[in-house]
Amino acid sequence: MSVLTDVIGASGAERDRALDALCRGASLGELLAECEALDRFRRESDNLYERVRALFFLYAIHRFHIPLRAEAAAPALIPYAGYSNLLKRRFEEAIDLFLAAQREGGASAANSSALAAGYRALAFQTLADQVRRSVRSVRGNQWMFRAGHPADYPLRVRQELLAGAPVFPVLREATPVRMDLTHSGWSDIFFLGMDFPEGARVLNISIDLAVGGEPKPPVEAYFRVIDQPVLRLTSVDLRATADIGSIAEVFDFARDYLGLLKAAVIASGIVPPGMEGATQPLSELLERLTGRAGHGIEIVSKVNDIPKGSRLAVSTNLLASLIAVCMRATNQIHALTGGLEEQDRRLVAARAILGEWLGGSGGGWQDSGGVWPGIKVIHGVAAEAGDPEFGISRGRLLPNHKILGAGEISQATREKLQQSLVLVHGGMAQDVGPILEMVTEKYLLRSETEWLGRQEAIGILDEVVGHLGRGDIRAVGACTQKNFDGPIQTIIPWAANLYTNTLIGRARAEFGEDFWGFWMLGGMSGGGMGFLFSPARKAEAQARMQTIMSEAKREMEHSVPFAMEPVVYNFAINERGTEAVILSGASALMPAGYYTLTVPPLLRVESRHLTGSRRAELERFTGACRDREEFSGMVHDLFDYLLPRAQEATADRSGSLDGLLETYGFDRVQHEQIQSDLRAGRIGLAQNRLPVTSRIEDAEPDAVDPRHRARGMQALAEGRVAVVSLAGGVGSRWTKGAGVVKALNPFCKLGGRHRNFIEVHLAKSLRTGRDCGTMLPHVITTSYLTHHAIEQHLARAGSYGYPGPLLLSQGRSIGLRMIPMERDLRFAWEEMAQQLLDEQAQKVREGLRAALIRWAAQAGEGSNYTDNLPGQCLHPVGHWYEVPNLLRNGTLRRLLETRPQLDYLMLHNIDTAAADVDAALLGQHIESGAGLTTEVVARHLEDRGGGLAKVDDRVRLVEGLALPDDELESHLSYYNSATYWVSIDRLLEVFGLTRDSLGDAERVNSAVRAVAARMPTYITLKDVKKRWGKGQEDVFPVAQFEKLWGDMTALPELHCRFVAVPRVRGQQLKEPAQLDAWLRDGSAAYTDSLCAWE
Amino acid sequence: MRIQKAVITAAGPAQRALPLQTLIDRDGQEKTVLSILIEQALAAGVEEICVVVWPGDESRYTQAAGRHAGAIRFVAQAEPKGYADAILCARAFIANDPFLHMVGDHLYVSSSATPSAQRLVELAAQEECSVSGVQPTRESLLPRFGTVAGRRVTGRSDLYRVETVIEKPTPTEAEQRLMVPGIRAGFYLCFFGMHVLTPAVMEILSKGAPTLSAALAELARKEQYLALEDEGRRYDLGAPYGLLIAQLALALNGQDRAQVLSQMVELLADRELRAGAGGGRQ
Repeated sequence: MSVLTDVIGASGAERDRALDALCRGASLGELLAECEALDRFRRESDNLYERVRALFFLYAIHRFHIPLRAEAAAPALIPYAGYSNLLKRRFEEAIDLFLAAQREGGASAANSSALAAGYRALAFQTLADQVRRSVRSVRGNQWMFRAGHPADYPLRVRQELLAGAPVFPVLREATPVRMDLTHSGWSDIFFLGMDFPEGARVLNISIDLAVGGEPKPPVEAYFRVIDQPVLRLTSVDLRATADIGSIAEVFDFARDYLGLLKAAVIASGIVPPGMEGATQPLSELLERLTGRAGHGIEIVSKVNDIPKGSRLAVSTNLLASLIAVCMRATNQIHALTGGLEEQDRRLVAARAILGEWLGGSGGGWQDSGGVWPGIKVIHGVAAEAGDPEFGISRGRLLPNHKILGAGEISQATREKLQQSLVLVHGGMAQDVGPILEMVTEKYLLRSETEWLGRQEAIGILDEVVGHLGRGDIRAVGACTQKNFDGPIQTIIPWAANLYTNTLIGRARAEFGEDFWGFWMLGGMSGGGMGFLFSPARKAEAQARMQTIMSEAKREMEHSVPFAMEPVVYNFAINERGTEAVILSGASALMPAGYYTLTVPPLLRVESRHLTGSRRAELERFTGACRDREEFSGMVHDLFDYLLPRAQEATADRSGSLDGLLETYGFDRVQHEQIQSDLRAGRIGLAQNRLPVTSRIEDAEPDAVDPRHRARGMQALAEGRVAVVSLAGGVGSRWTKGAGVVKALNPFCKLGGRHRNFIEVHLAKSLRTGRDCGTMLPHVITTSYLTHHAIEQHLARAGSYGYPGPLLLSQGRSIGLRMIPMERDLRFAWEEMAQQLLDEQAQKVREGLRAALIRWAAQAGEGSNYTDNLPGQCLHPVGHWYEVPNLLRNGTLRRLLETRPQLDYLMLHNIDTAAADVDAALLGQHIESGAGLTTEVVARHLEDRGGGLAKVDDRVRLVEGLALPDDELESHLSYYNSATYWVSIDRLLEVFGLTRDSLGDAERVNSAVRAVAARMPTYITLKDVKKRWGKGQEDVFPVAQFEKLWGDMTALPELHCRFVAVPRVRGQQLKEPAQLDAWLRDGSAAYTDSLCAWE
Repeated sequence: MRIQKAVITAAGPAQRALPLQTLIDRDGQEKTVLSILIEQALAAGVEEICVVVWPGDESRYTQAAGRHAGAIRFVAQAEPKGYADAILCARAFIANDPFLHMVGDHLYVSSSATPSAQRLVELAAQEECSVSGVQPTRESLLPRFGTVAGRRVTGRSDLYRVETVIEKPTPTEAEQRLMVPGIRAGFYLCFFGMHVLTPAVMEILSKGAPTLSAALAELARKEQYLALEDEGRRYDLGAPYGLLIAQLALALNGQDRAQVLSQMVELLADRELRAGAGGGRQ
């Protein structure tokens, strides 16, 4: 009998029992028996909720419980076929293969890591499939999936919009955005609403915004008929416009910046989703739509100066606005102008969900709240007979909206709220996707503290509504602060960060009792946020918050990813919701910014080649420039666009790039050699690989032998060891190419507050020093990217009080990134194994990749990448150089001068949080007499990138890049944790140097060059962000080269040993999404236990 | 309830010439469209027919009615104020009686032994309420028709109690409000262009209902209103090739079917042979 399947099938409190509590005392045998029962149960159950919850239970047992059982610790090979199926999203088949491996070889942490990944992915896929089915089955959406041919096309543009040719009227929709006053524990996630409708509630307010000036609806959408047979889409803020002539192009979301407009065109039914793949010309459809041959439509979007990441659901409300204007224009909504009826608002919201799914993005169900007016409670609704969800999920896909009138929240209270709240964008831009997954997971597992947090958050909503009813805004502030300090961070600790905490602390310090509370908006803090103050001091607070944020940003901009300068908004509650007006005659104009985009190319066309409506429009535009305030200054702006000032800017920027290259010792000869090798195809992703004739087999490392501890302690006490933390990188995966110094990123609360990686490593060195009685020298290697930031940060932080010698080893090597070769892009995307995305997201990704390949060809394959901030064009050349740099820049020499007894270095990556100078490992290294001891860990599924192998009979580390095929990696049981113990003299021998010759710079340089020449050069593709506009970011793959330290183990003259260490020690933190599991599986607590906090 | 009156609307500026066109009816006789419609009405038991025309068209229509001219009366629609107004023009003629209504720019070809008009009239008489002819129609054609939603009457597979009517709905609205259990997905019950209406409709129209559909939606709220599914075909004479298709439909359903078919086959074969001789297909 299974306890867990009973919990899933139960009702009431029994249903809400926490998995962790149920599994904590279970033996491995009992856990496996539960897993077997759960797996059977989830295969047999036809109830969505039961299947998904069983999948999450299985994931959690394999991820958090089985690996903790000692019997499961031995390494095991994960079947490659299963891994490959995971990548192809064939989750069921993958799980079957992993289960077969488990039956054959017994339970192991390695195989459980694969099962955990499989069950988790299948659970999210099941949820996504259900949301998709529900969106399609919403009445009013179904027909769009049936209309597959222009001959079936049923929509017609309203007559009112066809009157007055050649000057067709413009239909303009203006829509507020929304803010969520209660943040009920992310309860607007679709699955939460569908499974726990009674707990899915938010208090959602429609607002107008402005950055300086009078607030107005921040989102606008325009629709009109044009006398050309094309679909013309224009995004004024993204400065993109396109004339679309084929149905296929409408479905190509990533081709340009018009993806959101395209999603709206499709979701509004103008080009219904059922038409995807139709080959008929779009003009045929447009003719049916407009009822006129040779005519088409134009749709324009505009966001009034609101930056990305505002947490105000700008993009969803823009999508809703576009959908609303298109649906009005095609009579799907009865009211051509004015506000919307409730049924129409619901329809627009349902279509916006569809549009988000089409565009491969996804928000919560409250995000289209701007369509509704004023303040409303949005809540989940139980599914009833007749609903498409009935019998499938407990709740409906779409929630209900209860608008709170003046009777419930008085006009005076509304004004008070506006006079108290300072609404800001803190400038950070983060990916909230992983957070939403964490929330879903924790809800389904009913993790004990998180579940209590959720109950508390539900209660806070009622409190806030009550305080609003009484007009007590101060109490509202106390509630939102309590919510942030309590339930929000209990459910997701990552919702808070050092930046936000700093702002709150400073606001409180400065305003004392007049600061009423912080209010987090959306998925996480750092972007859009609210601060409530006493109305008497709002104006002052508005100004001060700008300064406080700007100062905090300046202090942290190297450690925290910022996308933009912080801003303070003016805002007002919008009591009307989305509204449309029709502009005709002389007023039939698009927004002013539209003309700076469209007029310059028109001016280059001879007047007689322009269509009648274009000529008429230019006339109207000219008139407007003279008469209308919003068009004043247009002539200036037009000149700016006609005669861009780019030359000057480019000269400046390339100057500073050249300057940087010079300053950091850029080796032009080497760069040109690499560039010509890359272009000629002598190096590249395919050439990174070892010859296929290499014999690559699994290898066995040594075990940790605790008997060597005393020997290690003695060496420590004698001061024979130093620590080297490699901190030259910017952690491109950590901040997705944002260029932040990873070493300084305050990634987690340890010892009671947010700590960065350097702080953690110094705290471990401090503890070790205290344990052995001698402080360790601690070296932090830096690069051009990180040196100044780390230097300044340590100076500000007083080196975190580290009492031992602390040295920075400045990097001396730099590379210039290159535009990738098309063949390398294709190799990476087509030849190498990689994770397929969910169906629609994958389509978007493929479109994007095609665009990036075109970009590489246009920009010139293999040429220098210079079209970005100078810092983003440079790259560190791999951590191999970080050790020779100790030799070249004199750090090692200086260290040996002050501590001549120094014999050993422990070298580790900045993100191996729990790597400390363990006495037993040190003793073992000394005893072995090795020049280099490498720590390895038993491989889990996520450990990709090479490992320990016997290559042609030599045991060494092999990089993932160098493995001749992807499958080989799954035959290697151990993964490189990138922590190395180095014997200084043995290493110097490899370089042909001695301690005495370290002072001879020329000799050192030529020694380094000689060894470098023996190291393979890998070409890699890295994602680099290019920021533009208001918080917009593009990510480009660029080519760079690297040499990696692990390849030292291939040198025959270097005596190498390998030792298997526990995972908790060897784990590296590569992505923020890992953090939650890192916290939950005890790794964070283990790391904390190694630290001595000052 | 006895239905003795009929109203045919033919005043639309774009359609007023259509009822005057001559076709060969199923019986092989040459007739105008108007005559065919009148005969269908008379066959259904109607005795008096009112044709709503464009002012001045009366004499041409009298001529087109041929031997049935005595059975019809004309009412001119003074201004082109739409279809609903055209029906309302016949209010005096209708007085307080129920009536059969047909549109002048469509032809109805029934596939069953009982013609469509007759089925409608018999049902309306029996149920003592308004009845509209409807047909399941693909959603892509919704921009052309009034569409009803209703529930099937127990024991009848072709009869519905109408709950609402929407004029030319979008498929979005149709899916939300006009889905009828038992009808295939993507199909809706659209008007066939033939109705038996009670005088209450005239009352509603006189109060300003903008379309016949709006008036019928109102009617459905006030009194029993049924929709009868018709398996016959309607032909829109105003569509491109509308007259030709209607003529073919009449011929292929009439006594000269074999003759017409063989001539069509000959026509096709001749064309194919010429194309073959000319060096293959295009």
